[in-house]
Amino acid sequence: MEASNNAINFLWVVPALPLIGALINLTLGRRLSRQSVHFVAVASIAASFFTAVWLVVGPLRQAYAAFKKGDLGAVFELKETLYTWIEVGNFKVDLAFRLDPLSSVMILIVTFCSMLIHLYSTGYMEHEKRYGAYFGYLNLFTGAMLILVLGANMPVMFIGWEGVGLCSYLLIGFWFENEAFATAGRKAFVVNRIGDFAFLLGMFLLYWATQGIDGGNSLDFTSLRNVGESTPEVYEQVWWGRERLAAAACVCLFIGAAGKSAQIPLYVWLPDAMAGPTPVSALIHAATMVTAGVYMVARTSFIFAHSTTAMAVVATVGALTALVAAFMAFAQNDLKKVLAYSTVSQLGFMFVGVGTGNWTGAIFHLGTHAFFKAGLFLGAGSVMHGMDGSGDVRIMGGLKKYLPWTRVCFLIYCLAIAGFPLTSGFFSKDSILAGAWAANHDGWPAFYGKLLWAMLLVAATGTAFYMWRLYFLVFEGPYRGAAQVAHPHESPWTMVGPLVVLAALAVVAGFIGVPHVMPHHHYMTFLPEWLGHSVKPVFQGEHGMQVLPHLSKATEWILMGAATAAGLIGIGLAAALYRKGPSEQVARWTADGSGKALLRASHDKLWVDELYEAVLVKPFRFLARGLFEVVDRFMIDTVLVNGLGFAMTTFSRISRWIQNGQVQRYMVGIVIGTVAIFLWTSRADHPSFTWRAVPAGVEFTASPGHGVRKDAQVRWDFDGDGRPDDGATGSVVIKRRGEVASRVTLFIADPVWGKKGPDGKPREWTKVTRKVELPAEVPSAVPAPNAAAGGTP
Amino acid sequence: MSARRVTLLSSRFVVVLVVGLTLGLGLGGLGLGGAVGVPSAAAQAAPVAIKPPPRSATPAGKQVSDRDVVTRRDAAGRPAAAGKPATSKGMAIAFWLFAAITVAGSLFVITRKNLIAAVMGMVGTFFGLAALYMMLYAHFLAVVQMLVYAGAIMVLFVFVIMILNKPEDEPYATTGRAGKAVAGLGMAYLIYRLAAVLVSVDTTVTAPQLAAPATTAQGYDWGSTAAVGWNLFNDYLFPFEAVSILLLVAVVGSIAVARPLKDDDGEVLAADGAAPGGGA
Amino acid sequence: MLMTIGFSHFLVLAALLFAIGTAGVLLRKNVLIIMMSIELMLNAANLTILTFARMHGDLGGHSFAMVVIAVAAAEVAVGLAIVVAIFRGRRHVDVDKMNILKH
Repeated sequence: MEASNNAINFLWVVPALPLIGALINLTLGRRLSRQSVHFVAVASIAASFFTAVWLVVGPLRQAYAAFKKGDLGAVFELKETLYTWIEVGNFKVDLAFRLDPLSSVMILIVTFCSMLIHLYSTGYMEHEKRYGAYFGYLNLFTGAMLILVLGANMPVMFIGWEGVGLCSYLLIGFWFENEAFATAGRKAFVVNRIGDFAFLLGMFLLYWATQGIDGGNSLDFTSLRNVGESTPEVYEQVWWGRERLAAAACVCLFIGAAGKSAQIPLYVWLPDAMAGPTPVSALIHAATMVTAGVYMVARTSFIFAHSTTAMAVVATVGALTALVAAFMAFAQNDLKKVLAYSTVSQLGFMFVGVGTGNWTGAIFHLGTHAFFKAGLFLGAGSVMHGMDGSGDVRIMGGLKKYLPWTRVCFLIYCLAIAGFPLTSGFFSKDSILAGAWAANHDGWPAFYGKLLWAMLLVAATGTAFYMWRLYFLVFEGPYRGAAQVAHPHESPWTMVGPLVVLAALAVVAGFIGVPHVMPHHHYMTFLPEWLGHSVKPVFQGEHGMQVLPHLSKATEWILMGAATAAGLIGIGLAAALYRKGPSEQVARWTADGSGKALLRASHDKLWVDELYEAVLVKPFRFLARGLFEVVDRFMIDTVLVNGLGFAMTTFSRISRWIQNGQVQRYMVGIVIGTVAIFLWTSRADHPSFTWRAVPAGVEFTASPGHGVRKDAQVRWDFDGDGRPDDGATGSVVIKRRGEVASRVTLFIADPVWGKKGPDGKPREWTKVTRKVELPAEVPSAVPAPNAAAGGTP
Repeated sequence: MSARRVTLLSSRFVVVLVVGLTLGLGLGGLGLGGAVGVPSAAAQAAPVAIKPPPRSATPAGKQVSDRDVVTRRDAAGRPAAAGKPATSKGMAIAFWLFAAITVAGSLFVITRKNLIAAVMGMVGTFFGLAALYMMLYAHFLAVVQMLVYAGAIMVLFVFVIMILNKPEDEPYATTGRAGKAVAGLGMAYLIYRLAAVLVSVDTTVTAPQLAAPATTAQGYDWGSTAAVGWNLFNDYLFPFEAVSILLLVAVVGSIAVARPLKDDDGEVLAADGAAPGGGA
Repeated sequence: MLMTIGFSHFLVLAALLFAIGTAGVLLRKNVLIIMMSIELMLNAANLTILTFARMHGDLGGHSFAMVVIAVAAAEVAVGLAIVVAIFRGRRHVDVDKMNILKH
């Protein structure tokens, strides 16, 4: 099913439509009416969604037809090159999009969630002043996310990567009048930058590895994959120390993914990102953007497959994040904060999925999570909308009376995220857990997969517990917020509608990935197979990962039972403690001692922010302060700015002294200039002499220098006694080796300046003595009769 | 203007007149004679009138009666015999005298507070220079020097001084002393260098150089009006014409600059000449 | 040296004259004196030119000196006109106070 490569189809329309919508809303948003604004926004996303469906359905049907016959056939891959973006030397990057099963799934999720959330926003943000800007940002975000997903090579993906980061920043700080919200936006941006930097490094490393190789040079995913297939030693080569290049590149890429997808240690921005409007949290910080890291790892899975070390890093970080974030979620009292940590935790699940080579499972969970987590956020938004904007669970309770629709949807989401059997979360989480159990890659300890599984199981229990704690605190028990909000109210249909749709999906989405062991129709396993086609690593070498083995039916059933049990235990625990509002039992446990410490640890998020503050921010501030004092204050302010000013003033003072408008000052200048000309032309040109080898011997040439008359009397001393030799006169003298001492003196008696000596001859006016080293080719003093004759032309 | 100043002016005036005019004129005449007599025998000190330039085109033989001719145009204009000391005490005395007048006059110019005195020093300098020109066989230029400079330019100066008629409080410009000191040092160095170079050019004057120059190819005496005129109107015609245009421009320009300012109605905005209340 | 007069005597005299002229320009503040000093310098140049003309037996120097004299005359005419014009407006000819270009 190899689709036409390099052909212009309509793939580019998918990201272009939201971008056009963003352009309209960001430029004309102030002038347009609210109806126009959200019409443009929602319509552009809806058009984008339907285009995506139209693009995907055709190949999907073909593949399904083939699948029914037992073979999927060739991998579906559509590449669309718009134009060459960068071309430097042999480095060539196209602006190209790529549609394959992986990106098909992603664009469907992104455009669908985005469409629902746009719709929801029209209700949630109806009183917002900067309506156009809000929808412009949302559209821009969707466009960027689609570029990220569809990018056929790493640089294009990076455009989207940066674009979603920018929109995330803009939307977190959307209410920037609030200082704390603006700070949260900045924090998200800065933390993301760290990840982006690592992503860039990984990208450069891959370019460095594949440059000059046939098929390389473009950072195109297909090319990179083909390089790994044809010349695997490229990724296997030892790069630094004893580390392999694939490991280094993958760790760099994973740090980038950890920044975007909020993994340890870069997760700290996500809880703060809840400062943004709730639909934004639903769209960006739950359903789509934060999954970009998972997507990217899945997209580059063929490189990760070369390094089980990097995969171990990914899986371990994912598992730890899942655990730690779940723990932190226990004691949060803000509705959205709980959901934020839940998101971090669920992303950890996904990373365990990609880290264990269970790409399909990870993407599966990504999809189901997108639905129920978006629903949870939208539900939380609905609750907060009903509670006049407050998200504090301590003043809620018993809201099922006031918000019946929201409550039902919320219940379904909570069932899904807890992994209640036959909900979507059940299937996807089970897929990841089973993958972790089965993982036994080269170089991993045999128990490592099981360890990961155990950690995830604990995290899953925790997930069920904190989500149901949340549910009970919000919707069950007596209403505690009468003092603050007298009459909580249900939201308008634009908000409830998406909730219902998402709830329906949260239930049924799991049936596209039913495990083999369960009774199923064949279309239920089609999608994972199809998806697996595009993320299946092509390489299984010495250091590479192994394809996850199929577990026995018994094992699968047992694992499934364990996961279900974990979810039910969590739900039961929450019900026991919080069914009637805040638990007195818990209050007693945490009144003092280790319980109190544990509560504080969870509530204060393990003091990670404080740790970063002390370890990173403070030293950085100190450094910045020092640099400010030294570079800015001293170098720039004092030396450059004031120094320049000082130089200018000094110069102008001097020139003012010269240009004082008085004729005589100018005359002084003329005189000084004349003198300078004289000084220059009569600069020291002292009498001297040179020598060079000639056939007859060595030739000495006197140059009298300025100030000495041409007819000056020139005499020489060649024997080194300090007196002029007899007969050695004239400005050119030829001597042979042996006739010349090591020091030769030139005497010049100027008839004008040389005063008369006692003998009536002019006294030597000046003399020059130089140390003479004869050139090697000078002949020695053979008995030639005229050898000593001085040549005086 | 105070009475004291008037007496000063008058006394200086007399001094300058004596020094400038009598010495300048008299010794200028001596200079002429000296110049003519340089190449001749030693005791040639008496002023001799300038001879009319030879009209003849034939250089030799025409003026044998004149005693100078022998030396001057010996052997068809060839230089006089080499090796003889071609100097004379008379010439030396004349040179030193005129040089002293020149220098003294010029010092007078730059030191006098009284402008008229300065002008008179200037006149003395010009006369001394004219005499020196004579010694260099530049008869025509000497006459032009006296006519133009002493006759015209100085008179112009005197007129302007009379118009302005403004006593000076402090004659020396006191601003920028440091710069002027530097410039003074520079000038001293310059004179030293110049003297060194000039001296090194020639000290022992060779006979061909000091000998009276031959007549020109056209048969005119060297330096005579005819010779200079021939040269000027043949070899340097273009500069001559250029100078004539320059003079025309200068005439027009000076009139334009110096005429009284009038507004559009012809009313005089600033009167020419004497300041109100200006004396003398 | 004293009694043997050569061309260098004339040249050194010219140099001296030139220096005196320069000193006058530098030191005096009356415009008229300054102009006279400039005349001195021009005359020094003339003396040099004539000396070299005599040395080389070239009458071109005389023509040159003629031009110099003419130029000097023109310069004096225009210069004095300017002095008169300045005096008319300012009632002085003091170069120290003629610094309007500065402002």
